[in-house]
Amino acid sequence: MKFILFLLLSIVLVIFLNPFLPFWGVMIGLGLLSLLVQPEGGAAFFGGGFGMGLAWMGLAFYLSAETGSNLPDKMAQLFGLGNGTYMILATGFLGFLLGAFSSWSGQLLRNMLKKKPQNIYMG
Amino acid sequence: MKVFSFVLVFLITVVLGYVVSIPMGPAPPVAPLLDPNHGFWQNMYSEDQLAEETIQLEGLSAPVKVSYDENLIPHIFAQNEEDLYRVQGYVTAQHRLWQMEFQTMAAAGRISEIVGPVALELDRMTRRKGLAYGAELGYEFVKENYPEMLDLLEAYADGVNQYIASLDDARLPVEYKILNYRPENWSSYKSLLLLKYMSDMLVGDRDLQYSNLRKILGEEKLNVLFPEFPAENDPVIEAERVWDFEPIQVENPDAGSYPNDELVIDPLPQPEEGVGSNNWAVAGWKTKNGNPILANDPHLSLNLPSLWYSMQLSTLEHTVKGATLPGALGVISGFNENIAWGVTNATKDARDWYKITFQDDSRKTYRYGSEWREANHRIEEIKIKGQEPYYDTVVYTHYGPVVYDRTFGSERQDVNFALKWTAHMGSNEQLTFIKMNKAKNHDDYNDALNHFTAPAQNFVFASVSGDIAMRIQGKFPVKWEKQGKFFMDGADPQMEWQAFIPNEQNPSTLNPERGFVSSANQHPVDPSYPYYVFDNSYEHYRNRRLNNRLREMNSITIDQMKELQFDDYYLHAAEALPVMLELLGNEIGEGEKAEKYLNELKSWDFYADPNQKGPTLFYNWWNKTYNQIWNDWMEWDISVVYPNNYETVRLLKLSPESEFFDHKGTEAIETARDHVRNGFAEMVESMSEWGQEEGDYTWANYKRTSIQHLVPQFRPFSVENVYTGGGRGILNATSERHGASWRMVVELGTPIKAFGIYPGGQSGNPGSKFYSNFISKWANGDYLNFDLRTEDQEENLLFQTTFTN
Repeated sequence: MKFILFLLLSIVLVIFLNPFLPFWGVMIGLGLLSLLVQPEGGAAFFGGGFGMGLAWMGLAFYLSAETGSNLPDKMAQLFGLGNGTYMILATGFLGFLLGAFSSWSGQLLRNMLKKKPQNIYMG
Repeated sequence: MKVFSFVLVFLITVVLGYVVSIPMGPAPPVAPLLDPNHGFWQNMYSEDQLAEETIQLEGLSAPVKVSYDENLIPHIFAQNEEDLYRVQGYVTAQHRLWQMEFQTMAAAGRISEIVGPVALELDRMTRRKGLAYGAELGYEFVKENYPEMLDLLEAYADGVNQYIASLDDARLPVEYKILNYRPENWSSYKSLLLLKYMSDMLVGDRDLQYSNLRKILGEEKLNVLFPEFPAENDPVIEAERVWDFEPIQVENPDAGSYPNDELVIDPLPQPEEGVGSNNWAVAGWKTKNGNPILANDPHLSLNLPSLWYSMQLSTLEHTVKGATLPGALGVISGFNENIAWGVTNATKDARDWYKITFQDDSRKTYRYGSEWREANHRIEEIKIKGQEPYYDTVVYTHYGPVVYDRTFGSERQDVNFALKWTAHMGSNEQLTFIKMNKAKNHDDYNDALNHFTAPAQNFVFASVSGDIAMRIQGKFPVKWEKQGKFFMDGADPQMEWQAFIPNEQNPSTLNPERGFVSSANQHPVDPSYPYYVFDNSYEHYRNRRLNNRLREMNSITIDQMKELQFDDYYLHAAEALPVMLELLGNEIGEGEKAEKYLNELKSWDFYADPNQKGPTLFYNWWNKTYNQIWNDWMEWDISVVYPNNYETVRLLKLSPESEFFDHKGTEAIETARDHVRNGFAEMVESMSEWGQEEGDYTWANYKRTSIQHLVPQFRPFSVENVYTGGGRGILNATSERHGASWRMVVELGTPIKAFGIYPGGQSGNPGSKFYSNFISKWANGDYLNFDLRTEDQEENLLFQTTFTN
């Protein structure tokens, strides 16, 4: 359950933060989110990764549909990627990488800072 | 363990974040480019999707309304000129910022800053030609003599800069994102620099090649192959024109010292073949409606974003519409409520080369007559992306910059040549356009032209009041016979330009009897003009076709003038092919192909239409034959000028046994016949090969007109294989990479009817639907409606924006 929740929160965070912040600002945001929400390791990695990847891919897809521009095809040719669909996939993949590692970092930071419960009893 | 895994993953994250934010070799930083909120995805919006109802613009004295028509052509309605140009700057930058900056960077020799060391030699060349130096002089000249002009330039620059300041990452033009740099501020100096850039694009010289060739052939043979006037001279100013002024006389130096055969260097890069233009105006009595009609189509390199940007500019006093140059104020080729004007290039050997003799290696002084003159050293700092700046010392003499010296070019010989060029003399071309935009009659037009120095242009004119006129305007030195055709010795004061032709003695005509004025880059005048006129690049075909058509046409309509701009008649072929067929006789060699090609050539009507095979075959055959004929010269491996097509055809026709046809290296004595036959055999071979590899050899498919992005490597941003006819030396001068960069036809009735088109689109953004949307219309010979609009006009509106302080 935490995975779904974290995934949704990540998507929302990217959608609302990214228009105002560059990609690295969003990375920090995702790290902090995972610090606060405390997902499991796997949930953090995949939740943050798919969160940012899907948000980016979704927006790229939405912009393509809204504008009808053939710029993605032109960019794909420029970078030797075939057609615009690959640009959407590349954008999603990059978003996934950035989101996944950012969230994972946050989760591991939380892990590190968390006081070990046994300490309470073993004093 | 926990610390370790955090540190490890955190480091991976940081490294990942860093790697995607820096450029990888030539590739831009990947994350800022792909980020859909800021990267290239945001450049998919077309301008109408980003329309704003109001924009705040500081410095306006009153609100300014801008109406965009369905083609995204802005119509600016301002109360006064300062507001007008401020908004012109802003609106132009909105659509063309990257292009206008890139072009001025090129003109300033600063491309290395953007692309790195690959452009260093290009930048050094640009700087050594002194383009920036010329613009600096121009700026000082304007500041001193026309402070009110400077205010307008500043207003335009401020408009551009307010747009740049408002620009966020998302709206940054995509080229900046790919090349990974950001726009810097605009300035009045840059507007002037842009006009110098035009000079450079349009002006050439062949002093070197003529010097070399004269040395080899001797004066007499040179004059046979390169007559100063062609046999069928059909000049810009009608030959009947009587010159009723007393010309300035200049001293012709002792024949002994000029030309000096010892002066030889490498040539400067020359303007591309095919750069030229047509313009004309017909008098009311020759038109159907009784109104003068004016037409203009400048031929330039075909690029995207297009060189031209269409606009209407209105104040309470005037309304002007036409083609602007992004970065320059006002309209460059267009019309207002009273007059219309257009430009074609009128190159007249505006550049000359002087050999400099330095006193010693320090190059601080050089010989001039019996004295040593002091030279200035200008240090050019060329910034290079990813490297330390390069410092280049350029020596300036009183003639101009020493382009080639021991550090640049010309490894073969230790030579020092100074470039004398009218573009280095303080001038205010911008004022010409500002005044022309408001001109009401022929006097105003003349007054506007008096400020124009370089690049020399044939300015065509027509007015609602019924006048038509043509004036060749530039700052032209008075030259003695053949001065500047060859290299000159800078130590000899007799070689100096001694005076300039007064503006009122520049060739011009008003309402000539023949009922039309026209220019197509041909000889400006008939030999009776009392000044020496020379240039290598004068046209011999378009002018005759144009004038022949205009002479025979009557009750002319706008549609006929449009057709004439799109006229594909291949006069060169019409004159050369019968001669070649005659010389070829039945010697067509073996094979079906040869016979098939020959029949296709024989049945061809000489129109270079896109679906014709004749032009392909002729073009090929002619080139092969031409190369056969002058093959001997090409083997010299020395830069020389070759006889043009016109003189070569005349030689084929009138003296097929001429000694020029014999190649000295062979035992046989060749004649025209041999070259034409060899050319045919080569053509058959190359066309069969081409046909096998590429298939269809109709003209458009063979010619492959392409409209290239300003960065040639950005091929997906170019439009290739445009289906259209025409070619070099044809009125529709569309060749592979050059052609009508703007077509305009204006009928000066009440109201004025106007049409225009250019191969591109109003937007400079490759992601916009307005980026290349005019191209298919342009390729078909269609036009857009360019009638003047009023402020309250509602039809065909895309959107409106109001600028307020």
